[in-house]
Amino acid sequence: MNKFEQFPDYQVPGVQHHDFSPYESNGGSIVAIAGEDFAVIAADTRLSSGYNIHTRTQNKLFKLSENSVLGSTGCWSDTLSLTGLLKVRMQMYEHTHLKVMSTDALAQMLSITMYNRRFFPYYVSNILAGVDKDGKGVVYSYDPIGHCERATYRAGGTAGPLLQPVLDNQIGYKNQNLSQDELPKLSIDRAVAVAFDTFISAAERDIYTGDSVIINIITKDEIKSQELPLRKD
Amino acid sequence: MLNNYQSSGYPLWSNGPTPGGFYNFTGGQQTHKLPSELVTEGPYGTKRNTSSITTGSSVLGIRFDEGVMIAADTLVSYGSLARYQDIHRVFKINNNIILGGSGDFADIQSIKRNIDQKMIEDQYYDDQITMKPKELSSWLTRVLYGRRSRMNPLYIDVVVGGVDKQGVPFLGNVDLRGRAYEDYVVATGFARHLALPLVRERKPADRDFTAQEASDLIRKCMEVLYYRDTRNMSKYTVGVCTTSNCLVEGPYNVNENWTFAANIKGY
Amino acid sequence: MSILSYNGGCVVAMRGKECVAIATDHRFGVQAQTISTDFKKVFHIAPRMFLGLTGLQTDILTVRDRLMFRKNLYETRENREMAPKPFSAMLSSFLYEHRFGPYFVEPVVAGLHPKTLEPFICNMDLIGCPNEPDDFVVAGTCAEQLYGMCETLWRPNLDPDQLFEVISQSMVNAFDRDAMSGWGATVYVIEKDKITERSLQTRMD
Repeated sequence: MNKFEQFPDYQVPGVQHHDFSPYESNGGSIVAIAGEDFAVIAADTRLSSGYNIHTRTQNKLFKLSENSVLGSTGCWSDTLSLTGLLKVRMQMYEHTHLKVMSTDALAQMLSITMYNRRFFPYYVSNILAGVDKDGKGVVYSYDPIGHCERATYRAGGTAGPLLQPVLDNQIGYKNQNLSQDELPKLSIDRAVAVAFDTFISAAERDIYTGDSVIINIITKDEIKSQELPLRKD
Repeated sequence: MLNNYQSSGYPLWSNGPTPGGFYNFTGGQQTHKLPSELVTEGPYGTKRNTSSITTGSSVLGIRFDEGVMIAADTLVSYGSLARYQDIHRVFKINNNIILGGSGDFADIQSIKRNIDQKMIEDQYYDDQITMKPKELSSWLTRVLYGRRSRMNPLYIDVVVGGVDKQGVPFLGNVDLRGRAYEDYVVATGFARHLALPLVRERKPADRDFTAQEASDLIRKCMEVLYYRDTRNMSKYTVGVCTTSNCLVEGPYNVNENWTFAANIKGY
Repeated sequence: MSILSYNGGCVVAMRGKECVAIATDHRFGVQAQTISTDFKKVFHIAPRMFLGLTGLQTDILTVRDRLMFRKNLYETRENREMAPKPFSAMLSSFLYEHRFGPYFVEPVVAGLHPKTLEPFICNMDLIGCPNEPDDFVVAGTCAEQLYGMCETLWRPNLDPDQLFEVISQSMVNAFDRDAMSGWGATVYVIEKDKITERSLQTRMD
């Protein structure tokens, strides 16, 4: 059979050839810290690709229920799709079971939803923070294909590697040689202060993190939101 | 033995984990299968082309206190050839929405036909419910994301603007991957580099732009784009959408001034 | 994987008030496999100056030796001690001589000027682009983690004891989040009248 290549007349000069990549990194970082009866989660508000900043006011924290907030960064179109799908599934759960999904159930569902796309993953760094059925603060972190781990503190996104050791040190008291009973109890104020401070550091060195940081404080009664400016360059 | 530690292990399955190796998420070979409409050969072995051919350059949108403005020049290029010089790239969708399209113009026309069909459906329900800009933006997100997930994207970057039922202005951008965001200024193409900083620089921190400010900025930016983007031309149209009216104005011409050209030396 | 991260390891240096500190981890590996846990990547090259080298181990040793040769030649010829700044300049031009076939090392220099005792730190990339900030420099496989730690813990005018604490905590917490660095650390604090070397025991996983 004759092949297309044999008809050079049909080679169009205007064609702009490029390989298409379905993924794009749109930057952003998340920090989440769980306390005894609360959880805080913070994310910056810069949406970028390469050296372009699309917007300086993109909230990356998704309030999924009255006691859980999902922070999601990475490929923004994947984030939008994933969070959209999650909201649909939570609605379906609510209609079927006549109750709102608990944070733990949500964590499990998020894992399964992401693993469903094992061979064409959502390119996202997710951290879920909230309070569980007993009012205890929890943080769940995920890899792009749905591995789920429960933690007390976690950093993710483009500045994740910069922030995680700081949390180890300041929240987990790693390498400070304190005995178990010497560990100070974590207060909301300290968790918020550390979360803010880590973002100030991250904005210094990570070009994809900056503009401002939004922090959500989740307790069993309410979710409070605060915003703090970061450097914009 | 030591230095081939990594290569001694084989992946458990194609693109799967390698025991003892470092986990490398995006590295490795692409395993995506292209969708059938792309790989099926036609008679004489023809294949579909998926790259952009006729292209429109930048689109710039600015939100102001009671509406939005979207501007784009009237050129559609064919590679470096300025092929079609009088084509409007800003469209009125309904009384609440305007849309500016850049990227492959065939894909723009295709998606425009789909949108127009939706508007007709909107009308024949006759329930006084019309589509709002946010809905259109969200719909575009799903269409474009679906196409990118099939590895057959629509090569377009669109700006959606308008006002909702309460008269609140909306301005957003959706790209070929379905990435979407809202802001008081959005731009595609070269306007992202040339116009966006000009607009951000003039944004008052405590209030929105006024219609006059937005209009002046659009004029200034289209001039800059004309001078510095080779794929731009001097003629452009501006879509304006407020609660009271929604229309595409123009074409206008930028204030060309080439007297400085005589002073340039050294070439 | 980059040649620069073939053997793993990291170095960090910090400025304090009338003092500088430099720290190294102890790991030497081949990709994921740890070969040795007492390989220090920081070398004492002048009374008040240290050179840290991360990257490909074979190049670390070569660069250290060839640099010592050039430094000794300079000191013989000039009959005076080499200060950190000219040493860094020499290192930079040495690396740039190999612009198109570079040594795979990322150096860090820390020291006090032999006469003025002015603290000095410097790092560069593998082809010798120098960077002389007034706070801290990092290099190695956990550079990102180190940046995060140092950016949060470092503050101006640390005295030698505080500086030791800050650099140790930065180093140890950073490499605990990196599989290719760690297995103990050594910290050198350089003051005008003494150099303190301390070994840190850390987790070994």
